[in-house]
Amino acid sequence: MHLLPQKSFVVPLAALILAVSGGARGGETPDRWWAPGEGRVLPAALDYANENGTLRTLTVGGPLDTAGHPFFEPLGKDGRACVTCHQPADAMSLSAASAQRQWDRTDGKDPLFAAYDGSNCPTLPQDKRESHSLLLDRGLIRIERPWPTKSFNGKPVKPDFTIEVVRDPNGCNSGPQYGPQAGKISVYRRPRPVANMKYLLAVGFPFDPKQGYALPLDPDDGKPQSGNLMADNRAGNLRIQMEDAANTHLQMLKALTAAQRQQLQDFELRVFTAMQVTNGGGAVDSGGAKAGPARLRDSEPGALGSIGEPVWSEFKGWEKMPADEAAMLTPEQLAFRQSVARGARVFREKMFLITDTAGINSRIGFGNPVRNSCVFCHNMSQMGNDVAPGQVDLGTTTLPFADPWQDLPLFRVTCTGRPHPHYGKVIYTYDPGFGLTSGKCADVGKITLQSMRGLSARAPYFSNGLAKDLRGVVDYYERRYSIGYSEQEKQDLVNLMSAL
Amino acid sequence: MKRLALLGALCAATTAQAAQDTGALVRFVTCPVYRDTDAGRKSGCWLADDRDTGQRWDVTESPYKPDWNFAVLVEGRPSANAAQPCGSPALDPVRTSRLDIPCTRHMIPAEGFPGRRYTLPRRNIGPLSVARPVPPGPYVARTFPVYFEFDKDFLVYQYDDWLIDNAVTWIRAARPKKLVVTGYAATAPETVSGVKLAERPEVAKERAETIAETMRRLVPGLAVETKWKTAAKPTDDPEADGLPWQSQRRAEIRAVF
Ligand code: HEC
Ligand code: HEC
Repeated sequence: MHLLPQKSFVVPLAALILAVSGGARGGETPDRWWAPGEGRVLPAALDYANENGTLRTLTVGGPLDTAGHPFFEPLGKDGRACVTCHQPADAMSLSAASAQRQWDRTDGKDPLFAAYDGSNCPTLPQDKRESHSLLLDRGLIRIERPWPTKSFNGKPVKPDFTIEVVRDPNGCNSGPQYGPQAGKISVYRRPRPVANMKYLLAVGFPFDPKQGYALPLDPDDGKPQSGNLMADNRAGNLRIQMEDAANTHLQMLKALTAAQRQQLQDFELRVFTAMQVTNGGGAVDSGGAKAGPARLRDSEPGALGSIGEPVWSEFKGWEKMPADEAAMLTPEQLAFRQSVARGARVFREKMFLITDTAGINSRIGFGNPVRNSCVFCHNMSQMGNDVAPGQVDLGTTTLPFADPWQDLPLFRVTCTGRPHPHYGKVIYTYDPGFGLTSGKCADVGKITLQSMRGLSARAPYFSNGLAKDLRGVVDYYERRYSIGYSEQEKQDLVNLMSAL
Repeated sequence: MKRLALLGALCAATTAQAAQDTGALVRFVTCPVYRDTDAGRKSGCWLADDRDTGQRWDVTESPYKPDWNFAVLVEGRPSANAAQPCGSPALDPVRTSRLDIPCTRHMIPAEGFPGRRYTLPRRNIGPLSVARPVPPGPYVARTFPVYFEFDKDFLVYQYDDWLIDNAVTWIRAARPKKLVVTGYAATAPETVSGVKLAERPEVAKERAETIAETMRRLVPGLAVETKWKTAAKPTDDPEADGLPWQSQRRAEIRAVF
């Protein structure tokens, strides 16, 4: 096999020192897993291999000494830190594979598996693997939400729906302590990547067209909020989010200090992560392509692809490479690059009918159905999240569109006011998503779009881990919207997503 | 005939220009038909049959489009443009309000019709990063209307956001003492295609409060009062596109000095 042009592999020195390849079953020094309180130095550029290539994480102003840093120190009684669920090797999220590896290496003793939310329910015997199956098999963390919803954006809310538990396979939605009767609802969600944050916080337009209001204002600085944090958008800014995380995931009894909040926020805004090298086609910033984390770090966030830089046009250069550059690649490498470039076009240009999807087909006025492509919802240049607040009901958590799963709780939601625009009066869902935050039946099943960077490092996908790999993502969309992708188009989309 | 008489009554208060157009106005309730044309994004066609006349209209240009599971209230005027990219004469301007009457979903193939390639509507707002030019004075009391779908208080994308963005740009420059937002509801019952239609009186208040909340977010610190009125009458504001029923379903933002 030919080597790629040398410049493809030029990486900063700091990264080379720590760049460690795949395998990762113990023996790796330093360890691929960042345990709380190790006091390691986070280099300015840090590379980790995964099955599709190399992910690079950049820390602006780095290296960062993590000793004493609140993102890396265990702050609560469980011995966990933020980094426990937001791992550099996993694009600052957590892959199910990493959870499994930690289980095997520590015999389930890693603080990741804390009873509170690292098990299916704290009431289960904690030493059994099956009590942690949702985390181990699908990378899911238990999220406890209050019921009934009391306020949204600082305004009192009385939900316009009731909720009953149809099925509670884990015990965390019934009994004296859990479930709607006890004032709480347990749902299970994937950790979202804590990186490339300026894009998730960017505000493109002054309105939330899905809710029909101007954007809500941040209670801290009075500026409009992006509405793009958390599956259910329960936190409008990083301060509210980190307080929620400290109270729940870290079981921190004291409040975060102002200094800790400052350090956390500062860190969150400095981390950028994305694929840097693909196994199939080399560096994503070579041969005319312009992807990778450095460009993410250096670009203005919040641009709408349809009026500016088209989404994933980073790979345009790979559509037709100059002959001299192409000659340096193997036929397989050239084919992979062309496939990624085609995938970007499929993402933007292959149209299908989007149907019965609240947030798109209602109430905004696009009509039901509406013809569009992946980029309709994933519309922010370079990130693929939604420029407008991204609460959309793709059906990933709600029947009949969600896959039938026996290990998740199932809720029956009954709308007491107007029926849901697509499901009608009664809705069966594993996770009401944004509905638990806004208290509106019309928002049940809506999940905030994530970013699409670093996907290769953080399977499975969707808020409830419905898609076990990137092909699973494409297959879900094919089932959901009967798109009619050819086998080639599916593979092109997978290759594109593997390179982000 | 009955319809024409009704229209005449509705439009009595409008200008000569609008009154002159009255004869051409069309209003009916029906189940929408989606024609699956493909000229790129958002290029599908919406068709609606007026059961009284048997005429099939292309109603695609509505700023709020139909849902194939529900009946629509169609209001519009035959387009000056004779082209039929969806296979039927077009209404333009046109509005299609979703009603709570279930319909059998129906989709028909393109049958060779091209549909319309999407173009950004005239009423669209730039991103926040694009500075809005400061509007000229005089900065004296002024009223900015915004419009709604039948019986709804939902801010219409690429219509109300544009109207409000313009209003807010002016208000920020003019610095009025307060805003008075008045919501209106067209509560007088009318029978359209055999369906008795009247907006709920509450929607007047809902519209006032929705727009007031939006104004509080866009011009924080400025006092916003709300009022509401039922039995709304049509106006001749050009942004209602000469559709009297659209002009009734409004809220008015009044800047007071
Ligand atoms: C036990 C695992 C766990 C720990 C520990 C944890 N998180 Fe998270 N984090 C999650 C999960 C799960 C989500 C997604 C929650 C949701 O969508 O409802 C999340 C979401 C986030 C998000 C939102 C990202 C986005 O794009 O929406 C941020 C920011 C974040 N966490 C920061 C932190 C910080 C700061 C800490 C430490 C104070 C922390 N997390 C600790 C699991 C964890
Ligand atoms: C109608 C809007 C819409 C369209 C169209 C759409 N998506 Fe999504 N996408 C979403 C929403 C909403 C989510 C979050 C759902 C969840 O997490 O449960 C999502 C999530 C994803 C994720 C998961 C990211 C993660 O971090 O787990 C990927 C990957 C993705 N979409 C790819 C695609 C591809 C490929 C297409 C085209 C076939 C597409 N999307 C079309 C709305 C859309």
